[in-house]
Amino acid sequence: MKNNAMKYGFAAVTIIAGLIFSYFHIGERPDIVFGSLGAWLIYVGFITLAIMAVRAIGKNKEKKVDERMEFVAAKAGRVTFVFIIIAAFAVMIADGIKPIAISYYMFMAYMISAIVFVYFVAYKVLLRYN
Amino acid sequence: MLSKNKLKEMREKRGLSQEKLAELVGVTRQTVISIEGGKYVPSLELALKFSKLFKCKVEDIFDI
Repeated sequence: MKNNAMKYGFAAVTIIAGLIFSYFHIGERPDIVFGSLGAWLIYVGFITLAIMAVRAIGKNKEKKVDERMEFVAAKAGRVTFVFIIIAAFAVMIADGIKPIAISYYMFMAYMISAIVFVYFVAYKVLLRYN
Repeated sequence: MLSKNKLKEMREKRGLSQEKLAELVGVTRQTVISIEGGKYVPSLELALKFSKLFKCKVEDIFDI
Protein backbone atom coordinates (compact mmCIF):
# COMPACT_ATOMS: atom_id res chain seq x y z
CA MET A 1 0.00 0.00 0.00
CA LYS A 2 2.78 2.38 1.01
CA ASN A 3 4.77 1.29 -2.03
CA ASN A 4 1.80 2.02 -4.29
CA ALA A 5 1.35 5.45 -2.72
CA MET A 6 5.02 6.17 -3.43
CA LYS A 7 4.59 5.16 -7.07
CA TYR A 8 1.42 7.20 -7.55
CA GLY A 9 3.16 10.08 -5.81
CA PHE A 10 6.14 9.75 -8.14
CA ALA A 11 3.86 9.74 -11.20
CA ALA A 12 1.91 12.76 -9.92
CA VAL A 13 5.05 14.75 -9.06
CA THR A 14 6.59 13.90 -12.44
CA ILE A 15 3.51 15.00 -14.36
CA ILE A 16 3.14 18.20 -12.33
CA ALA A 17 6.86 19.00 -12.73
CA GLY A 18 6.52 18.32 -16.46
CA LEU A 19 3.56 20.70 -16.71
CA ILE A 20 5.43 23.41 -14.78
CA PHE A 21 8.56 23.00 -16.92
CA SER A 22 6.49 23.11 -20.08
CA TYR A 23 4.55 26.17 -18.90
CA PHE A 24 7.73 28.12 -18.15
CA HIS A 25 9.56 26.75 -21.24
CA ILE A 26 12.35 25.30 -19.12
CA GLY A 27 14.71 22.78 -20.71
CA GLU A 28 13.45 23.12 -24.25
CA ARG A 29 15.73 21.66 -26.87
CA PRO A 30 14.58 21.00 -30.42
CA ASP A 31 17.26 18.37 -31.06
CA ILE A 32 16.05 15.83 -28.51
CA VAL A 33 13.22 13.41 -28.99
CA PHE A 34 10.60 15.02 -26.75
CA GLY A 35 11.53 18.58 -27.56
CA SER A 36 11.51 19.60 -23.93
CA LEU A 37 12.23 18.32 -20.48
CA GLY A 38 8.62 19.01 -19.48
CA ALA A 39 7.24 16.77 -22.23
CA TRP A 40 9.63 14.02 -21.23
CA LEU A 41 8.61 14.22 -17.56
CA ILE A 42 4.92 14.06 -18.51
CA TYR A 43 5.68 11.00 -20.65
CA VAL A 44 7.52 9.28 -17.78
CA GLY A 45 4.63 10.07 -15.41
CA PHE A 46 2.04 8.57 -17.71
CA ILE A 47 4.19 5.52 -18.41
CA THR A 48 4.47 4.97 -14.64
CA LEU A 49 0.69 5.17 -14.32
CA ALA A 50 0.21 2.79 -17.26
CA ILE A 51 2.60 0.22 -15.76
CA MET A 52 0.84 0.44 -12.41
CA ALA A 53 -2.56 -0.03 -14.06
CA VAL A 54 -1.35 -3.12 -15.94
CA ARG A 55 0.20 -4.56 -12.77
CA ALA A 56 -2.99 -3.92 -10.80
CA ILE A 57 -4.99 -5.89 -13.39
CA GLY A 58 -2.46 -8.72 -13.31
CA LYS A 59 -2.58 -8.93 -9.51
CA ASN A 60 -6.08 -10.36 -9.55
CA LYS A 61 -4.79 -13.54 -11.16
CA GLU A 62 -3.01 -16.01 -8.91
CA LYS A 63 0.33 -16.57 -10.59
CA LYS A 64 2.71 -19.24 -9.49
CA VAL A 65 6.42 -18.77 -10.04
CA ASP A 66 8.46 -21.85 -9.30
CA GLU A 67 12.17 -22.65 -9.43
CA ARG A 68 12.03 -23.97 -12.98
CA MET A 69 10.57 -20.68 -14.19
CA GLU A 70 13.40 -18.82 -12.45
CA PHE A 71 15.89 -21.23 -14.03
CA VAL A 72 14.36 -20.66 -17.46
CA ALA A 73 14.31 -16.88 -16.90
CA ALA A 74 18.04 -16.94 -16.11
CA LYS A 75 18.67 -19.00 -19.24
CA ALA A 76 16.58 -16.60 -21.33
CA GLY A 77 18.68 -13.78 -19.88
CA ARG A 78 21.85 -15.51 -21.08
CA VAL A 79 20.33 -16.06 -24.53
CA THR A 80 19.40 -12.37 -24.66
CA PHE A 81 22.94 -11.40 -23.67
CA VAL A 82 24.38 -13.50 -26.49
CA PHE A 83 21.87 -11.88 -28.85
CA ILE A 84 23.07 -8.41 -27.77
CA ILE A 85 26.70 -9.35 -28.49
CA ILE A 86 25.84 -10.80 -31.91
CA ALA A 87 23.55 -7.85 -32.74
CA ALA A 88 26.32 -5.40 -31.74
CA PHE A 89 28.70 -7.06 -34.21
CA ALA A 90 26.02 -7.11 -36.89
CA VAL A 91 25.32 -3.40 -36.34
CA MET A 92 29.04 -2.59 -36.50
CA ILE A 93 29.41 -4.48 -39.78
CA ALA A 94 26.22 -2.96 -41.23
CA ASP A 95 27.39 0.50 -40.18
CA GLY A 96 30.73 -0.13 -41.86
CA ILE A 97 29.07 -1.15 -45.12
CA LYS A 98 26.54 1.67 -45.08
CA PRO A 99 26.48 4.25 -42.27
CA ILE A 100 23.35 3.97 -40.16
CA ALA A 101 21.60 7.30 -40.50
CA ILE A 102 18.85 7.13 -37.90
CA SER A 103 18.45 9.23 -34.78
CA TYR A 104 20.07 7.97 -31.62
CA TYR A 105 16.75 7.76 -29.77
CA MET A 106 15.22 5.77 -32.60
CA PHE A 107 18.15 3.40 -32.56
CA MET A 108 17.80 2.97 -28.80
CA ALA A 109 14.04 2.44 -29.13
CA TYR A 110 14.59 -0.30 -31.74
CA MET A 111 17.33 -1.88 -29.66
CA ILE A 112 15.34 -1.97 -26.43
CA SER A 113 12.28 -3.31 -28.25
CA ALA A 114 14.42 -6.02 -29.86
CA ILE A 115 15.96 -6.99 -26.51
CA VAL A 116 12.54 -7.22 -24.83
CA PHE A 117 11.19 -9.24 -27.78
CA VAL A 118 14.15 -11.65 -27.83
CA TYR A 119 13.93 -12.16 -24.07
CA PHE A 120 10.19 -12.81 -24.24
CA VAL A 121 10.49 -15.29 -27.13
CA ALA A 122 13.50 -17.03 -25.55
CA TYR A 123 11.64 -17.36 -22.24
CA LYS A 124 8.50 -18.77 -23.83
CA VAL A 125 10.41 -21.22 -26.05
CA LEU A 126 12.65 -22.42 -23.22
CA LEU A 127 9.69 -22.77 -20.88
CA ARG A 128 7.92 -24.90 -23.44
CA TYR A 129 10.83 -27.14 -24.44
CA ASN A 130 13.05 -27.21 -21.36
CA MET B 1 23.68 -34.48 -13.54
CA LEU B 2 20.74 -36.62 -12.53
CA SER B 3 19.73 -38.84 -15.38
CA LYS B 4 16.97 -40.97 -13.97
CA ASN B 5 14.31 -40.76 -11.34
CA LYS B 6 11.40 -42.74 -10.04
CA LEU B 7 9.12 -39.78 -9.53
CA LYS B 8 6.49 -40.94 -12.01
CA GLU B 9 6.51 -44.45 -10.57
CA MET B 10 6.15 -43.21 -6.99
CA ARG B 11 3.48 -40.71 -7.93
CA GLU B 12 1.42 -43.32 -9.73
CA LYS B 13 1.86 -45.78 -6.86
CA ARG B 14 0.20 -43.24 -4.58
CA GLY B 15 -2.52 -42.43 -7.09
CA LEU B 16 -1.51 -38.81 -7.44
CA SER B 17 -2.01 -36.80 -10.59
CA GLN B 18 0.79 -34.55 -11.86
CA GLU B 19 -1.33 -31.55 -10.96
CA LYS B 20 -1.94 -32.75 -7.41
CA LEU B 21 1.73 -33.54 -6.88
CA ALA B 22 2.69 -30.12 -8.23
CA GLU B 23 0.26 -28.50 -5.83
CA LEU B 24 1.59 -30.48 -2.87
CA VAL B 25 5.19 -29.43 -3.45
CA GLY B 26 4.37 -25.90 -4.64
CA VAL B 27 5.42 -26.00 -8.28
CA THR B 28 3.63 -25.98 -11.63
CA ARG B 29 2.47 -29.11 -13.44
CA GLN B 30 4.95 -28.35 -16.25
CA THR B 31 7.78 -28.60 -13.74
CA VAL B 32 6.61 -32.04 -12.60
CA ILE B 33 6.39 -33.13 -16.26
CA SER B 34 9.92 -31.85 -16.91
CA ILE B 35 11.34 -33.61 -13.85
CA GLU B 36 9.60 -36.89 -14.70
CA GLY B 37 10.89 -36.63 -18.25
CA GLY B 38 14.42 -36.00 -16.99
CA LYS B 39 14.58 -32.61 -18.71
CA TYR B 40 14.86 -30.61 -15.52
CA VAL B 41 16.95 -31.36 -12.46
CA PRO B 42 15.15 -30.18 -9.32
CA SER B 43 16.84 -28.14 -6.62
CA LEU B 44 17.82 -29.77 -3.34
CA GLU B 45 14.86 -28.07 -1.68
CA LEU B 46 12.39 -29.50 -4.16
CA ALA B 47 14.00 -32.95 -4.03
CA LEU B 48 13.67 -32.90 -0.24
CA LYS B 49 10.03 -31.90 -0.56
CA PHE B 50 9.43 -34.94 -2.77
CA SER B 51 11.23 -37.23 -0.33
CA LYS B 52 9.24 -35.84 2.59
CA LEU B 53 6.00 -36.26 0.69
CA PHE B 54 6.75 -39.84 -0.33
CA LYS B 55 8.31 -40.62 3.07
CA CYS B 56 11.51 -41.98 1.59
CA LYS B 57 15.12 -40.95 1.02
CA VAL B 58 16.03 -38.54 -1.78
CA GLU B 59 18.21 -41.22 -3.38
CA ASP B 60 15.21 -43.55 -3.51
CA ILE B 61 13.61 -41.12 -5.97
CA PHE B 62 16.60 -39.60 -7.75
CA ASP B 63 19.66 -41.37 -8.99
CA ILE B 64 22.75 -40.61 -11.08
